[in-house]
Amino acid sequence: MKHHYWEAPIVLYLFLGGLGGGIFFLSAVFDLIVMPGSGPLFFAPVFVALAALALGCFFLVFELGQPPVFWRVFTTKTAIIKWGAVLLSVAMIFGFVWWLSYLYLLGWDWAGGFGLGLAGLRPFLLAVAGIAGFGIMVYTGVMLSTLKAHAFWATPALPVLFTISALSTACAAVALSLGGAVDPSLAAFVFSEIIHGTIHTVDIVLVLAEIVVLLVMVLSFFGAGNVTAKAVATRWVRGKTAPLFWGGMVGGGLVLPFILYTAFAGTAASTVVAPVLVLCGGLLLRYLCVYSDERAPIPGEERFYSRLPKKDAAFLTAWKQGENRY
Amino acid sequence: MGNEIDIHAPGVEMRKSLCYFCHANCGVLAYVKDGEVVKIEGDPNYSNQGGLCCRGNSALLHLHHPARINHALKRVGEKGEGKWKQIPYDQAIEEIAERLNKIKAESGAEAVATAGGTTRTDDWARRRFMNQFGSPNGFHNALLCWIPTFMAETCVAGWSPFETDLGQAKVVMLWGMNPGASSLGAMRGYTDLQKAGMKIIVVDPRYSETASKADLWLPLRPGSDSALALAMLHTIIFEGLVDYDFVSEWCNDFDELSDHMLQYTPEWAAPLTWLTPDQIRAGARMYAANKPGCIQWGCTWDQLGTASTTTSLTLALMRAVCGNLDVPGGDGMPGPALNFLTDEEMEANECLPEEQKAKQIGSDKFKLTSWPGYTLISNNAKRTWGKTLPAEWFCEAHGPSVFKAIITGDPYQIRALIVNATNPVNSYGDAKMTLEALKRVEFLVTVEYWMTPAALFSDYVLPAAGALERPTIVTHYGATDSFLGGKRAIQPLYDRHTDMTFWRKLGLACGQDPEMWPWETEEEAYYHILKPLGLPIECYDDFVDNFRMYYPPLHQNKFISNGGFWTPSGKVECNSSILRELGYPGMPTYMGCSENEVDDPEVAEKYPIVLTTGGGFMPYHHSEHFQMPTIRYLSPDPYYTINPELAEKLGIAEGDWCWIETRRGRIKMRANVAPEVDPRVVYVPRGWWFPERDGSSDLNNPFGCLESNTNVLTSVDVCDCDPMGGSWANRGLLCRVYKCTELDHNYKKADTKWSIPGSASEPGVSVMPSDQPMARPHVPFEYPEMEPAPEGYYRVWQSGNLYQEGTHFRLDDSGWLINPRTKGYHDAYTGWRYDPTSELLVDDENGKYYTMEREEVKFKGGIRCYPGDAAPYAVPEQLTWNTEEGCAMLGNLPYVYDPESGWLIDPETGAYHEAYYGWLYDAATGNLVDEATGARYTMEYAPIEAGAQEEGAQA
Amino acid sequence: MTRYVMVVDESRCIGCQSCTVACRTWNDLPLDIIYNPVVSEGTKGTFPNVYRTWTPTQCMHCANPECVPCCPTGASQQDDDGTVWVDYKKCMGCKVCVNACPYGMRDVSHMVKRFDQYVRKCTFCRDRRKMDPTAQPYCVQTCHQRARVFGDIDDPESEVSKLIGTHRTERLFTELGTDPQIYYIPEMGGGAR
Repeated sequence: MKHHYWEAPIVLYLFLGGLGGGIFFLSAVFDLIVMPGSGPLFFAPVFVALAALALGCFFLVFELGQPPVFWRVFTTKTAIIKWGAVLLSVAMIFGFVWWLSYLYLLGWDWAGGFGLGLAGLRPFLLAVAGIAGFGIMVYTGVMLSTLKAHAFWATPALPVLFTISALSTACAAVALSLGGAVDPSLAAFVFSEIIHGTIHTVDIVLVLAEIVVLLVMVLSFFGAGNVTAKAVATRWVRGKTAPLFWGGMVGGGLVLPFILYTAFAGTAASTVVAPVLVLCGGLLLRYLCVYSDERAPIPGEERFYSRLPKKDAAFLTAWKQGENRY
Repeated sequence: MGNEIDIHAPGVEMRKSLCYFCHANCGVLAYVKDGEVVKIEGDPNYSNQGGLCCRGNSALLHLHHPARINHALKRVGEKGEGKWKQIPYDQAIEEIAERLNKIKAESGAEAVATAGGTTRTDDWARRRFMNQFGSPNGFHNALLCWIPTFMAETCVAGWSPFETDLGQAKVVMLWGMNPGASSLGAMRGYTDLQKAGMKIIVVDPRYSETASKADLWLPLRPGSDSALALAMLHTIIFEGLVDYDFVSEWCNDFDELSDHMLQYTPEWAAPLTWLTPDQIRAGARMYAANKPGCIQWGCTWDQLGTASTTTSLTLALMRAVCGNLDVPGGDGMPGPALNFLTDEEMEANECLPEEQKAKQIGSDKFKLTSWPGYTLISNNAKRTWGKTLPAEWFCEAHGPSVFKAIITGDPYQIRALIVNATNPVNSYGDAKMTLEALKRVEFLVTVEYWMTPAALFSDYVLPAAGALERPTIVTHYGATDSFLGGKRAIQPLYDRHTDMTFWRKLGLACGQDPEMWPWETEEEAYYHILKPLGLPIECYDDFVDNFRMYYPPLHQNKFISNGGFWTPSGKVECNSSILRELGYPGMPTYMGCSENEVDDPEVAEKYPIVLTTGGGFMPYHHSEHFQMPTIRYLSPDPYYTINPELAEKLGIAEGDWCWIETRRGRIKMRANVAPEVDPRVVYVPRGWWFPERDGSSDLNNPFGCLESNTNVLTSVDVCDCDPMGGSWANRGLLCRVYKCTELDHNYKKADTKWSIPGSASEPGVSVMPSDQPMARPHVPFEYPEMEPAPEGYYRVWQSGNLYQEGTHFRLDDSGWLINPRTKGYHDAYTGWRYDPTSELLVDDENGKYYTMEREEVKFKGGIRCYPGDAAPYAVPEQLTWNTEEGCAMLGNLPYVYDPESGWLIDPETGAYHEAYYGWLYDAATGNLVDEATGARYTMEYAPIEAGAQEEGAQA
Repeated sequence: MTRYVMVVDESRCIGCQSCTVACRTWNDLPLDIIYNPVVSEGTKGTFPNVYRTWTPTQCMHCANPECVPCCPTGASQQDDDGTVWVDYKKCMGCKVCVNACPYGMRDVSHMVKRFDQYVRKCTFCRDRRKMDPTAQPYCVQTCHQRARVFGDIDDPESEVSKLIGTHRTERLFTELGTDPQIYYIPEMGGGAR
């Protein structure tokens, strides 16, 4: 039974959330552990992350039935979605403040003062944002995988896949945006080259891992899933979704970037085209997964819903209440 | 949130109403606050036990639907253009009346006809108007629904045995009836009783909702019902399953029937019905061996075209020879309402002159259900019951022939048509011809809830009040002796009027006598109907509040207490004399249905698939409720049913749009591919139109009323109609089915071409209706030679009895007239009734009493007076005999002595006074009161002190 | 304790959809919201040896509902008597509960104002019972065939207890661990579930 209660905004939200979370995570790892002092280089990536999260939140709220009361998510209960909302808020607030502390990089003198004031807090801010970012990456997959009504979602492989994909897209985004808005000094240039190199390698690994997890998940459903999951997997592997899955997701989103990363390292194909492809692949993955919300039907349910009117049926709008004709 | 309306809140009044969306008329509780219905629910204390179907539950949506007609509309553009002017209701009535009177003056009253649908109206009011107006041309879909069956059954046994006594029945045969989709309350009863052991036989070509629960399902070829019925009757007779005691005592001509039935063996019927002989025998045995049993009437019986009445006649005989008539557990014959007024008594049939009756369209052909047959049956009913069945429904013009007369002027031009409570394009046969007739009729008035195709072409459209806006009574077309009623929840909204008020206002505007229309509201009329019951009610609403329903004491085996059945011969007539008198065979004689592969092989070659239509289906009722979005949402498109085997052969997949075509035309529907029907059959639901469309944009097919309308496929040609009852064929037609292609997907103008007789290949009028041959030639009938009747009397040839003209009282050998209803004796000269208690004659008209010498008898205070010198009884000595008044009195007191009780009666008040002092008897205390002094006495004349009396009262 | 359940007798259901329409009108639902569809796989078999089963569905008011713990606002909740319902004043329309329900018995309407969509579902006619504790859900009252029976399973004298005690009943998707509380008496000889 296919119903699509969640649609495109949720796809974008899951993608952007994972992306933003991943960038925070990477920024934190590099600035705090791998390469202390590289902070200014991540000024632009963090901006991208903030934008991604903000946009993601916008889509999430937009998809709500009642956006004006979105704050109700923070009211009472403990639920997966609530954790997601908290993580998102934390990452955005801390990340934003960290980003503000580097605002002077844009050449605005007035920003220098509080930049210095916040400088001491930077490691703490970024650490919190990074941890929250990691949480968001995992959360996007966990949220779907706990909904066991949908056989294709209810697998531990899904959070893993989403986390890897989020990280991979974050790598791509960092690769594209690293160092932006920073005057290239020699030190910065060196840092930037090292980070680029590291990320390049990391993303190759992630892409490979993603291919493995994705294929394991889809093919195991295809071979051994329950009726519903198998039907979805079949659709992916050789049904209506197969061109998007094989051509778009696996081919364009994973294999091709892998080839470009490895065989064309150092060229624009590796530094620009491949990350863009990875980003597209990540979006496509979310799209394919969200729209695989098949639920085991109650016998006869499909026949019932198939006979209901199409959305444009004339009688649905022919008579307006309160408007007497004769 | 919507559902937070508290029906228990103060100020909310609960009114017991009845649903009005089908004939089941389930009980509805309407919760009314400040004159608005806020909620409805099923009445748990009514026969529906709280149940309501899709239709009933949508009553509030119906009430407030934005497309309801709320005001009188006058056409201001061209016909069909959809330009209207709202005018006051009474002005519209005046204008309509003026036009009708003009037409009447120019062309005679018969040029005005009226079309109805099914009972959604008080149709005695329609008939009352038409009778006074002088036109015999009222009609409904009656011929497709029960009426021919009722008449055939009445020919056999004197009334229709339609009230099944299921509680004690061991088997019920549901033949061509699907309560699972058409009357859900009944279905619950069947299900409950089946679980308690009753067997259910279902005869239906489709695996219907009901068939799916049956103990025995006979999936016959659609339309072959007559063959199956005949073969089952054959089996019952020749396997000795007949109730011989009953037959020998109560049936005439059984041997003749047996000889006649010899030919109809199950082997003969097998190829016609597509059943095996064993299946046919199994059905017959199951019914006949499980006595008592019931056969429930189904609409199919009246929708078989040529074979209709043959089938119902056979089934009527099947009941009779099995001894299931009017016995406990069998099929009860209620008879007309003897204790309250029948619809017939409300119709004023005496106002219609004989020469107008003779002009009734179709009465020269389909005699059983028009004035010729009705007169025979009705006179017989009056002779045997003292009351009769209504003329409305049971004696009507042939609807399709009226539509043809509008087009052809044959036999004469119909110039005006009043359409009330029907959507004729969808509910009458040959929809394309019907639509043409509606377009062509000179003056068209429609009384409707909705803008139907008929309303679209009307000169005036008048708003009708619907369920919740009108009180509702249930008397089964005025043909039963029980009465159920519901109140109106609210007064009609806007300018909506109930149909009775419409006919009344129109009648008054046409110049009819106001004394003939004394009731301003339904409530007044219903109270008038109920008054003879003598219930302690002051008005109709009292009846609903305190009684709700009236059932006469259960009276079965009435034929035994009555001394016979209510036929002319007093027996069950196996060879019906009334049918023979009308020129029809008196015994069921096989006739194939209107189109079949045996009689019309050349048609079957081109149209090889058997089509069955007309079955009721949830959630719609006839052509109604397609406007209700809530309902329509669940069933947005028309689906016909086709067997997977046939579908595969024709390349049709589930949900494909397909054309279904007969000789008359084609319609399109989507395929429901399911093994519910035989691979040689398709099942097409009826009623479909698309009220959401703009009717004026396509006048060839307004509101898509032809596009998916099964009646495009049906035929109303004279030779396709039942020769007795006139019903046309919805079942067992021949068709072909093919998928809509991309190039052939839209309903085209060419598809809307009509013809008389119906044929898509030859548009236009090719044969005048009066030249069309009947399916069965009339059998000439000659009355046997009889002694002529004395003046003022007539003789019934079947029994030789003499009856008085007018009253239809039987002239007994003793010289008295016998009233069939009361069994009372009447004086043959004056008609006064003999009252055995007083041994006097009574004139029931004015209540006056007469002696056997026909001298008027005076009464004073209820005491018979004997003017003259001698008292005929002992007078106590303290009293004096008043020779002038003829009674005994005390002094000069005005009281009259009652020799029976010994008391004095006050003729003014009826109060009792004792005979010595004239003291008043006070029944409350048991004391005597001297009115002059106010003193009180015991019955022993001992005075009572005032205080003691009070004490006594306190004690 | 009171624990409301429903027993649905498929051998009585004829698929008339009265309960569906009744529910829609009683609760004044938008057109695209159907709390209790009556579904069937259609007629199966080879003519004339055929069978058909109707399954009246609705919220299963699970003892272990999927839709309650996932709600981030506490709008989706369960009463002590087992009734699962949504407090519209708390709902923000995130639809996570809609996706969580394995029976597809919740939805938001797409035919109301775009930003006023809350999750709707069957409440066992909580409103009716609030006004009159003896009231039945309206789909139960309106069913001519008495295919739906409502009552307290903790009361051994209730009709539902007796029916469950004397009939073989089935429930939908018990393998998910939701412990649904709509009990089906299967149609005799009907399709296997």
